[in-house]
Amino acid sequence: METSDLRLDGNAIGGLLNELFGAELTAAPCVCGGCGAREEIARLDVYVHAPGVVVRCRHCEDVMIQIVRGPRRTWIDLTGTARLELG
Amino acid sequence: MARAAVLGRLAWLAAEVAGAKWETPRVRTLELNVPGWADHLAGQHLDVRLTAEDGYQAQRSYSIASAPGTTLALTVERLDDGEVSPYLVDEAREGDGFEVRGPIGGYFVWEPGDPTPVLPVGGGSGVVPLMAMARSRARVGGTAPMRLLYSSRSLEDVIYRDELEALPGDGFEVVQTLTREQPAGWSGYSRRIDPELLAEVAWPVADEPKVFVCGSTRFVDAAADGLVGLGYDPRWIRTERFGATG
Repeated sequence: METSDLRLDGNAIGGLLNELFGAELTAAPCVCGGCGAREEIARLDVYVHAPGVVVRCRHCEDVMIQIVRGPRRTWIDLTGTARLELG
Repeated sequence: MARAAVLGRLAWLAAEVAGAKWETPRVRTLELNVPGWADHLAGQHLDVRLTAEDGYQAQRSYSIASAPGTTLALTVERLDDGEVSPYLVDEAREGDGFEVRGPIGGYFVWEPGDPTPVLPVGGGSGVVPLMAMARSRARVGGTAPMRLLYSSRSLEDVIYRDELEALPGDGFEVVQTLTREQPAGWSGYSRRIDPELLAEVAWPVADEPKVFVCGSTRFVDAAADGLVGLGYDPRWIRTERFGATG
């Protein structure tokens, strides 16, 4: 396996995001806090092999979202996301 | 898409295997009965959850192969070191049960009423959600010109081989490439997708087509980058990358 095989996209976390937010979010636009690029979550780079899920901007590669699940609690870090738009 | 399909938390539902069909030596289609399942859109996927006797759970995503409005079907490729796909491909029998949740995704979806020319590009089992699009188009008599570009390693690895020979017509075309091994007399392409191949197969830029690319990360990047190189607007290209876990 090569590193490129580990890079998925936001489609891969559609089920997880639905579970956490109760809505379909892969088509939801999201603005990068680093470079300001606006892309649907499906168009962001997603790494699921880290401890937890890491979502990066496809343009500047800044971390936009981190999700770590524990047995009784889930941590969602949105520091790198300037805006999330729900339809 | 319909608002009802966007809002609301998905529940895990009991699925029962209603039928199975080998597509290739590594790939099998499972038909599922899922009471309470809401109909899907072509291109969407679902999550499968297996629970062992000791309570251990494993979960993976699989694309939906069936057209909306027909019996729900998954087509799964066996990944030898996977936790879920070896069960689904080799073990699951009619009447067996597991859990599913879905349909999932509002981005990598195609509506058969959309008349825009469409170019589905699939590598290996990446053809599965694209087949849902082709089947959906055939089922409702969609008018969009659709050209499916499908890359496999060898003829033996071609999923839906018979159906892909029968479906073309009425504005649906299939262009295949076999990257590793070709049978005698093979009339399709014989190499990985590259810019020259895309230039020959893709709709003209002036058509402003819709593109759906699904496969491994490297396949998806090669196809998407090649199309952008031809002058395609990146916004026309929707991609879905398959993971290396199964």
